[in-house]
Amino acid sequence: MCGIIGYIGERQAHPILLGCLKRLEYRGYDSCGIAIAGNSINVYKNTVRAEELRKAAPQLDGTLGIGHTRWATHGQPSQANAHPHCDCDGKIAVVHNGIITNFQGLKQKLIHEGHKFISETDTEIIPHLIEKYYRGDLERAVEAALDDIEGSYAIIVLMASEDKLVAARKDSPLIIGLGDRENFIASDVPAILDYTNRVIYLEEGDMGVVTKDNIKIRRDGIEINREEHKISWSVDEAQRGGYEHFMLKEIHEQPRVIRDTLVGRVSVAEPTVDLAAMRDKGIESMLILACGTSYHAALTGKYIIEELLRIPVRVELASEFICYGQTLTGTEAIVITQSGETADILRAMRRLKEVGCQVLAITNVVGSTASRIADQTIYTRAGPEISVAATKSFMAQLMVLYWLIMSYSKVDSRRLASMLLALRQMPSKVQQVLNNGYKILEHANNLSGYDNVFFIARGINFPIALEGALKLKEISYIHAEGYAAGELKHGPFALLRSDTPVIAIVAQDNTYEAMLTNIREIKARSSPVIALAEEGDEVIGGLVDSVITVPQVDAIFSPVVNTVALQLLAYYTAKQRGCPIDFPRNLAKSVTVE
Amino acid sequence: MRQAVILAAGEGQRLRPFTATKPKAMLNIAGKPILEYVIESLAQNGIRSIVLVVGYRKEQIFDYIGSGKQFGVDITYITQEKQLGSAHALTQAKGVTENEFLVLSGGNLIEPNTIAQFVGLKPEAVLAKRVNNPIRYGVLTIEEGVVKKIDEKPKQPKSNIINTGIYAFTTNIFRFTEPELNIPDALNNMLTQGYPINAQETDGTWLDVLYPWDILSLNDVVVRRIRAKLGGTIETGVSVKGLVSVGKNTVMRSNSYIAGPVIIGDNCDIGPNVCILPATSIGDNVVISPFTEIKNSVIGDDVNIGPGCIIQDSVIDKGCVIKGHFAACGGEAEVKINDEYHKVSMGVMLGEGCSLGNNVVAQPGVIMGNYSQVQALKLIGGRLPDRSLIF
Repeated sequence: MCGIIGYIGERQAHPILLGCLKRLEYRGYDSCGIAIAGNSINVYKNTVRAEELRKAAPQLDGTLGIGHTRWATHGQPSQANAHPHCDCDGKIAVVHNGIITNFQGLKQKLIHEGHKFISETDTEIIPHLIEKYYRGDLERAVEAALDDIEGSYAIIVLMASEDKLVAARKDSPLIIGLGDRENFIASDVPAILDYTNRVIYLEEGDMGVVTKDNIKIRRDGIEINREEHKISWSVDEAQRGGYEHFMLKEIHEQPRVIRDTLVGRVSVAEPTVDLAAMRDKGIESMLILACGTSYHAALTGKYIIEELLRIPVRVELASEFICYGQTLTGTEAIVITQSGETADILRAMRRLKEVGCQVLAITNVVGSTASRIADQTIYTRAGPEISVAATKSFMAQLMVLYWLIMSYSKVDSRRLASMLLALRQMPSKVQQVLNNGYKILEHANNLSGYDNVFFIARGINFPIALEGALKLKEISYIHAEGYAAGELKHGPFALLRSDTPVIAIVAQDNTYEAMLTNIREIKARSSPVIALAEEGDEVIGGLVDSVITVPQVDAIFSPVVNTVALQLLAYYTAKQRGCPIDFPRNLAKSVTVE
Repeated sequence: MRQAVILAAGEGQRLRPFTATKPKAMLNIAGKPILEYVIESLAQNGIRSIVLVVGYRKEQIFDYIGSGKQFGVDITYITQEKQLGSAHALTQAKGVTENEFLVLSGGNLIEPNTIAQFVGLKPEAVLAKRVNNPIRYGVLTIEEGVVKKIDEKPKQPKSNIINTGIYAFTTNIFRFTEPELNIPDALNNMLTQGYPINAQETDGTWLDVLYPWDILSLNDVVVRRIRAKLGGTIETGVSVKGLVSVGKNTVMRSNSYIAGPVIIGDNCDIGPNVCILPATSIGDNVVISPFTEIKNSVIGDDVNIGPGCIIQDSVIDKGCVIKGHFAACGGEAEVKINDEYHKVSMGVMLGEGCSLGNNVVAQPGVIMGNYSQVQALKLIGGRLPDRSLIF
């Protein structure tokens, strides 16, 4: 996972590249670097983030350059391993996002041929291969080099004395931004939105040759046309707007995200996405694939589908699904991915397509690779999410699942009407949880002193316990585990002591009594218990140490309010512990390598 | 004048329940918070660098205003941790202001022409306005365009010219605001020490909200100036008369009758057979069921109104769910706020997230707290605190 950027035009490239890199930091930030072509190529790189590089770097003169913000996969974060990488003579510089799987063999061969390597990276073979094949035509040389390579890549190539940038992609995202007598190449759109809102999405296997006033796109050696898109959202949405962290801003955006995601969809429950199999004969089962936080949305989806559609649902982690062989026939599959670029998801999707599955993608990124592989795509309208910890994108995924499933549901019309009413109320209910943030802050201050926390729930809130634990561990570095409440006694009970708090989600559904029993068992082991319970629950206060109240909602929507409460709990806990909330250590926003 | 400081940290405690969850500046009038009117007025007068002093429930302002880009301005946020007074709030902005700047309250609704002349005036200066009831404000004594005296909340006002709380200052002002809590005290100290303060009178819009029912009178003034537009779907048989604005994705179902001025937000589902009468503002994502009449009222986002209701002269805040045949008719009432009695003519003031059963009848003058619940067939009256349960 890395972010890459290229600029060619009439302005000084140096400040533009660094500005764009800052916006790409969600893709990785253990080191970064830039290369600017003047008469020769000047490279400046280090194991710092873009802002520090801006302060430290000498002013490199030139109107043509490339940049990279790195997320280490091959080789430690170090100055030598940071991109851009160059050939032996320092005339060709390359930035790369992806993994080259056959680089060891190629590297040995190149060393044998006399090429000198400085880094441990897979990327460094690319400039050397281009050097090897260069006979006066850069595009040819890049094509020849890419023919030798196996694996995934998005690359931008810069060469001294050539007044152009050459870019290519396979299994890693890349876009071209069109300016006025200047052009951009970047891993994603927000990176360049300060400069232009006109973009071209490169497709798998495309090679782009970009000069300051011309774009050529080639595929298999033939020039082709790609449509230009106008981006309607602005970088404004990618700024913090008063909040200390993007994460809190994004948590607070959720009422709006819910409204936006449901706009035009909940008036009447009529299907607007055509799940052909469901319409014609009704389907017998469904497969949902996802990773990380999206996996928790998928698990919640399983409960919703099984309750409302009465069909069995299988939920798989995409990273596991691609590792072993199952019998798959032409079933309906849903994949959930915020970025639409998660490598494991894309591989799983291709496999599903091969066996004839209908694939529906739920993603937040218009034009993402997932949306182009899928038969149909539903976009969550969450807007760009900067914080590494997913919050509003998860909420939007839940909303899409609710809406999608309700439009096919087999429940009676009275129940459906009351669910539609409840769904429309969700923005206000979530706002109510947010307004209660000051109280959740007190619980967080208390929680921040512990090293281990358990999250428990039953039924539809079990995935939310998993999600609550994930949020807490990823941003506050407290060890947290989500458990189905009934499973505690099969092992984890041994860990419960007075310094192991348990956070229990107590929903007003058929799991209520069982949850109370579990809580009593835990209290008997003297662990502190914080309950998440509905307003008006008179019983729970007497059983637990403290209660976080959430508004009353129809039980099927209880995951929505509980999620928001746990997001705030994780946020304030991490803040109390002084953690770098938006950029937790060792994590990147989306995982574009396997 | 290129910069403005907007003071938007205060709650507006007399405006509860509506300010229990948001600052006064975020009260919604004709589809927009008051603060947005202030920012728009500044932008149209070429003032695009804005320092926003926030405090009470500041997240509501962050969520709506953000970086200010969508309003064409650049916002710098400053937090006033404790709301001690306007001078204290302004002092928080010391260090981020330019040499000359405007100061405005985020809780007073203005229009671009209100300050069009004033932005050219030499600091230090105060904007004055004639009002009908000056006793709640600072009454100004002005001679030849210069302020002679400020009487705060005089029992017997000498004139009806008041201080609007809109000022043009230089950084000199911080010497006077630092030891004080309220700006008028700082200004009186300036006058005593012989510093001149210019004054200009405006005949533009300047509206204040002191009590919940003032929302209705502000809405009445401002909703007349909206721009007509019909978004969404208007089914056949819908009558639209006068000035009406309907947002995108809203569905207006058959035989509904809309008599402007009326503003309706995005993604609403209205009708069939609904009657919406003049001076009504309806938020986003609102459902209004058949045979309901709404007149001279303000309805917040996500509200769900059942069939056969009558809602007049009322404010219904976000997320309320009202079942069928709710009756809230306007009428004379005596309402007690902070030990003062007020004779007003209004329907109900309903806080956020209330839930009302079928056939609830509200006496005129009801002020119901946030998240209250009322069972079917109840008669409600008087002032009810947050989370009231009427069973």
